[in-house]
Amino acid sequence: MATVDRTDAVFGALADAGRRRLLSELGERGEASATELARGLPVSRQAVQKQLGLLADAGLVGTRRAGREVLYRPTPEPMSDAVAWMAEMGGQWDERLAALERQIARRRG
Amino acid sequence: MEPVVERELVLPAGPEEVWESLAEPAWLGDDAQVDLRPAGDVRAGSRTGFVEWADAPRGLAFWWSEEGEEATRVEIALEEVEEGTRLTVIESRPLALLDAVGSDLHLDLGVERRGTPELIAR
Repeated sequence: MATVDRTDAVFGALADAGRRRLLSELGERGEASATELARGLPVSRQAVQKQLGLLADAGLVGTRRAGREVLYRPTPEPMSDAVAWMAEMGGQWDERLAALERQIARRRG
Repeated sequence: MEPVVERELVLPAGPEEVWESLAEPAWLGDDAQVDLRPAGDVRAGSRTGFVEWADAPRGLAFWWSEEGEEATRVEIALEEVEEGTRLTVIESRPLALLDAVGSDLHLDLGVERRGTPELIAR
């Protein structure tokens, strides 16, 4: 059920660029362990686990135990269309603006 | 919930220089193209659209969409600050309002460029 608290938690969880990247990575993989996710990112497994915990608190990812691993997957329920759009577009703007920053640095290089 | 994405960053260059960089559209992706004047073309990857207004070096607004998807509006503002230029970008989905009321009104950016998107969106 979408409550105001839940919406705040969702926005809080999505406010961080690293967590947005993590969520979009998870979206591409479908399901993955913290170890697998950390492999493709410049952060430790512990850091990934902590961020996944925050995403889980917001209801944005679900977990399931598989043997000795915990697998994470994105849960679409709280990701209303608008929130999903904001997460995706926000991630794209982070990339474009980083590219613009590099472009300006090169000009001034 | 209003679907809006907002980003802000301060760039270490004056507004004119940032504007020139915006006009070199590599930052929008490979093969991107931006004609920074009203009704100018915007192309980035699979997105196409047009410039709504452009006021060098203060800012611009453009509309774009992926084929078959609703158009979104991007507004970029440049403001001179001590450290350089503050760039604010806001991408909104005004046409999402139409979905909410179940309208089947469709804005085809390819042919509707003479229309005023704001009025259509309302």
